[in-house]
Amino acid sequence: MTDAATSATATPAPAAAPPPDPVTLTIDGMPVTVKKGTNVLEAARTLGIDISAFCYHPGLPVVAQCRQCLVSVEKNPKLQPSCQQTCGEGMVVRTTDAQSTLARQQQLEFTLLNHPIDCPICDKAGECTLQKLYFEHDNHDSRVDVPKVHKAKVVDLGPTIVLDQERCILCSRCIRACDEVAGEHQLEFAHRGDHQVLTTAPGAQLDNPYSLNTVDVCPVGALTAKDFRFTMRAWELEATPSVCNGCATGCNIEIHHKHGRAWRLVPRHNPDVNKYWMCDEGRVTYHQLREHRLATPVVDGLPAGWDRAIRAAADHLAPVLAAAPQQVGVVLSAEHTNEDNFVLGKLAKAWGATGIYVAGKPAEPARADGRLRVADVNPNTSGVTLIAAALGLTARPVGELAAEVRSLVLLGAELPGVDPGRLRELDVIAISAYERGPVTTAKVALPAAAWAEASGTVTNVQHHVQRMHAAFAPPGQALPAWEAMVRLAQATSIGTGGSGTAGKLSFAHAREVFKDMTQTVAAWSALTWAREARPLALRFAGSRG
Amino acid sequence: MAATSTTNPPPPAGDASGRSLRQLVLGRKDVQDLSDNEQELPPDLMTVNMGPSHPAMHGTVRIVLTVDGERIVAGDVQPGYLHRCFEKESEYATYTQVFPYTDRLNYVSPMINNCGWAMVVEKLMGLTGHIPKRAEYVRVIVSEMSRMTDHLTCIGASAMELGAFTPFLYFLKAREWLYELLEKVSGARLTHSYVRIGGVVKDLPPDFDAELALCLDQIVKIMVEVEGMLNNNKIFRDRMAGIGAMTKADAIATGCVGPIARAAGVDYDVRKDYPYSVYPELEFDVPVGTTGDCYDRYLVRIEELKQCIRILRQCLKQIPEGPMMVDDPRVALPAKPATYNTIESMIRHFKHIMDGIKVPAGEAYAFVEGGNGELGFYVVADGTGRPYKAYVRSPSFVHLSTAAQLIHGHLIADVVPIFGMINMIGGECDK
Repeated sequence: MTDAATSATATPAPAAAPPPDPVTLTIDGMPVTVKKGTNVLEAARTLGIDISAFCYHPGLPVVAQCRQCLVSVEKNPKLQPSCQQTCGEGMVVRTTDAQSTLARQQQLEFTLLNHPIDCPICDKAGECTLQKLYFEHDNHDSRVDVPKVHKAKVVDLGPTIVLDQERCILCSRCIRACDEVAGEHQLEFAHRGDHQVLTTAPGAQLDNPYSLNTVDVCPVGALTAKDFRFTMRAWELEATPSVCNGCATGCNIEIHHKHGRAWRLVPRHNPDVNKYWMCDEGRVTYHQLREHRLATPVVDGLPAGWDRAIRAAADHLAPVLAAAPQQVGVVLSAEHTNEDNFVLGKLAKAWGATGIYVAGKPAEPARADGRLRVADVNPNTSGVTLIAAALGLTARPVGELAAEVRSLVLLGAELPGVDPGRLRELDVIAISAYERGPVTTAKVALPAAAWAEASGTVTNVQHHVQRMHAAFAPPGQALPAWEAMVRLAQATSIGTGGSGTAGKLSFAHAREVFKDMTQTVAAWSALTWAREARPLALRFAGSRG
Repeated sequence: MAATSTTNPPPPAGDASGRSLRQLVLGRKDVQDLSDNEQELPPDLMTVNMGPSHPAMHGTVRIVLTVDGERIVAGDVQPGYLHRCFEKESEYATYTQVFPYTDRLNYVSPMINNCGWAMVVEKLMGLTGHIPKRAEYVRVIVSEMSRMTDHLTCIGASAMELGAFTPFLYFLKAREWLYELLEKVSGARLTHSYVRIGGVVKDLPPDFDAELALCLDQIVKIMVEVEGMLNNNKIFRDRMAGIGAMTKADAIATGCVGPIARAAGVDYDVRKDYPYSVYPELEFDVPVGTTGDCYDRYLVRIEELKQCIRILRQCLKQIPEGPMMVDDPRVALPAKPATYNTIESMIRHFKHIMDGIKVPAGEAYAFVEGGNGELGFYVVADGTGRPYKAYVRSPSFVHLSTAAQLIHGHLIADVVPIFGMINMIGGECDK
């Protein structure tokens, strides 16, 4: 399978090449050829015509419930829901004629009939499909002169989600999202007419591990995440494409950030990896970016500058490397990017260190569900394995630490399977984003950028090399881990006898590391480094619904 | 800029080299007195800085003058000290949020800038010609008042810089009356942001007609006095007439517009040649000069002030009753009670404020007659709520580019009236 390091939002445009089994139809006078079985709504989107819709979602079954996407189909006396209407050969569709325009307007008027005046206090305002469609397709004044029907404003649906039944427009996307993504039917409609409400079964909760996808697909502010609600206005945020580091699946995500911190993670479409979804656990991993961070270099438990810390590490390592390199263990990390591990692997090779290990968080077998969640909770296990093999290093699990190892150069903050007593005897040079575990007792600790703060790639369980973009600056003096190792390489080159090998460890940008890496790892030789993504201001991105 | 060095200080009187007193005082001999001996030639040309902060330089602009004695042989005009970034900033603001930025272009006549920006967006949205009549009249009224404040400032300040302090005080007082009226209209004395896409933000205040009429009567009286003080004033005419002259051909070739081009004989006024708003319904004349020097520029501005008063008096007679904003939900904010009480208006209000007015993709250029001439806005829209690219054709920038040519060969002291009559406004020049 070809890997996409570019990994932006690379859904190929269907219009580019005629698909197999093609059907040609005319929409608003423009001919379009699509694959047989495509619905009219999707066909129109390939032409740049965005037919308004609430209940249709490309990742969910079609129910044609909202009646918002009605269009005129020639030789058909009644308007047809374009989401359900399959494209037929020679079909003539009109989306802008008087009949369908009026239908859209009237449908919106119905939808707004009992909608509360909540925009100023609603978390969805600014990215609300209802707001967007009203402004684009209706924009007429209210004709209602009777009181609105009131429903429950705060319904606690479960551990992650609050429901506002007044705001709900009864599109059933959330019901289908639970069915499709989690495979659990936890939501249902109750009652009829303008008393119809979304609800769980009596006594039951919305508690599946993919429940927060319902918040994404909700076209209005009916379902809000407890994690995000009332924290930040959606239009203030900026979006940077990245990859979830919560497990080896590597769901494509957007980091929504502002003022140098992440406020939420939302899934980004990738048909090969996560489609439109991600799990609840992954969504809250951004909190760790602000917990137990190592923000300044530490030498013997005291804060130090970079120069002093690097010198302390080099002064410690140089004599050991010169006398007995087998006493130095180098620990690669399945939690860090390919670039970080590649530079550390090269450095270990240049040092002549023989004890190469791989560390990461211990697997959680209970997590694996055959959907998106897998047991391996490290984002880059397969990448580390490939890199070590390509560099000719024999990497063993860190639990099998050789007895003669006295000093440990550690990437990351995990040393699973290493006895605490043994750890006390080791001199640890840690390069880590977090100050926890073995990093707290390290001889020298060098602060590294966390996954959201540095550009790089991770390799998921399917061996896709996926690109992450730096969303904001790392805290304090932290640097990308590969950069810390480049500094360490320069400081120790004299100690290793100045063979010049360490000189090749001079990189100015993650792009250069990536280039060197793709030349070394044969499987990745075709990959290219995508341009840095500029943060997208959600305010001007249009409501993306 | 020529390579230069500074002159040596004059040697003490009666020095051994035997230079005459005349030489010591003037720095060099007259050309006819020069001998063939090159040793007698005085040192090189001198470089002096005028600005960036100089009391007689309007706005922050620097001129590096290369002078031969008092005479200017080259002037290097260097704008750019204001770092306005109007065009770039506009790309990061909604179309409505650009209005405060336009206030700060030519900040002596902000209402005209407001109108120009509104017109280009209206052109993109197909609203040109659909703006309510009363709103159009109000736009013309505030524009002409702004043109008056512009000319009053220009003439008053220039006269002061030439030593005539009384006209300055008189004209600035007159300007203040207009500013006070504009403050009543918009709420702000200088940065009005009064015009909106599709109309203006609110109606004129009560009693505005009477107050403006009174104000105009007083300004007419003041102008009689100031004209009496300046028009045939020996010093004023000596400093203005024949100074900084520009030919009609040069004015056209360099792209000059407004009073500067008209003083040089170019009969071009956007209000007449490309009529917009309700100018076709108003009677006024466009004054045109003959010599293109500073004195003609002064006379053209004085006459334009009189024409402004004429236009304003017609407007007060002709202005109809009616709405101040076009009835189009794409651009008009809903009424406040509806916003707070219906979800439809609430959404529209939210969308207008947060996302901005949705302008269909396309590009347009619209231009108005600003205080200094044709003020044009060019906008590329990409269908979102903010401009993809905005460009302003600011007259000050064009006029400033002719300054080096105009001051060439004149005395240092002539920079002051030439620059005063170019009327460069920094906020507009450093767009």
